[in-house]
Amino acid sequence: MADRKMRILVVDDANLIRLYYRRILEEAGFEVEEALNGIEGLERLLVSPADALIVDINMPQMDGVTFLSALRRQALPLSSIPALVTSTESSAGDIATARAAGANFYCVKPIGREDLAGAMAMFCGVRA
Amino acid sequence: MVEPKLLDAEDYRRLCEYLYRHTGMAFTESRRYFVERRVEERMIATGSSSFASYFARLRANMQGELEKLINASTVNETYFYREDHQFACLTSNLLQERLRMKPPRETMRIWSVPCSTGEEPYSIAIWLLENWAEVDAHDVEIVGSDIDTHVLEAARAGIFGKRALMRLSPALTDKYFTPAAPEHWQIIDELRQSVRFTAANIVERAEMRPHGLFDVIFCRNLLIYFDDTSRRMAAENLYESLAPGGYICLGHAESMSRISSLFEVCRFADAIVYRKSPEAPHG
Repeated sequence: MADRKMRILVVDDANLIRLYYRRILEEAGFEVEEALNGIEGLERLLVSPADALIVDINMPQMDGVTFLSALRRQALPLSSIPALVTSTESSAGDIATARAAGANFYCVKPIGREDLAGAMAMFCGVRA
Repeated sequence: MVEPKLLDAEDYRRLCEYLYRHTGMAFTESRRYFVERRVEERMIATGSSSFASYFARLRANMQGELEKLINASTVNETYFYREDHQFACLTSNLLQERLRMKPPRETMRIWSVPCSTGEEPYSIAIWLLENWAEVDAHDVEIVGSDIDTHVLEAARAGIFGKRALMRLSPALTDKYFTPAAPEHWQIIDELRQSVRFTAANIVERAEMRPHGLFDVIFCRNLLIYFDDTSRRMAAENLYESLAPGGYICLGHAESMSRISSLFEVCRFADAIVYRKSPEAPHG
């Protein structure tokens, strides 16, 4: 696997946040794809699968929870891509809902650079 | 053909009065050379044989001539990270203060007016990405506005020369720009999409109001071009465009206290800024 970069799909509606995550992840050696909402995220994955996902909760058209539920209903290997949910929602109920929908990990924003890159390295099984 | 002596004293006075009524900018005798050159250019471009015929055209605003002359007569020179101590103040103090007062998850709105060719609003976006640890936890809207519609087109295109980038480190230039032409760089698409550009005349209340309320306004090095009356009108319009408790940053040579008593002075470690009272009524 060392001959190619691990690919992360960032699903978030905020331009600045996608750019912020992209720069952190690229500096950490990942390849980054972007989607503006859940629908675009699913379309992206059907065209080119990712090794891991970063998913926001509050997005227009299709939110992160709906996106994850839809993704987990797909066939393997698409359905098993590990997903980090990032959100400003911090209640136990929000976290439980995201987990039930298929989030593997949940981080409350803001997320530190090292934490974001570290989580993706863990998901992809590469050295942080 | 354009006569060598283009405008007599009375012509110049009438022209300045007309421009003043429409822009709030006071063109004094000291800027006469500059203004005459712009008028000369516009006369040639429109094929006007005398100032009188050009002035008639201007007053009738034929084919948007007023806008064209304004575009030619405004000063648009600026650069990235100009007076960045105010951006430092933004990330170390102003945004935290605003977050304390705002309902959670409400968009943080920042206005750069006048924005010229976009250096300031794009600088704010880059500064936030580089220096605000909470940048991913908040929705931020950055709006750039200017009276000059030509500069707005340039701002949207986001192509800059060496001079505009002189204060940015090579690392930041590499990170947020791509080479576009010899000695020119284009700001990356994600940043272009992160800033919204609109036309607005700061002394026209009707053009300012639709922009809504902002948390922080940067209005730097504009009020120095205005006379007292326009300055007061601009100050009132800016005041109305601020959310209660919102901040305004002016250029280093400008002082709001001398213009208007509407604002409170706030001294932070990196900058002196002005604030609309948090108790101010909405609207």
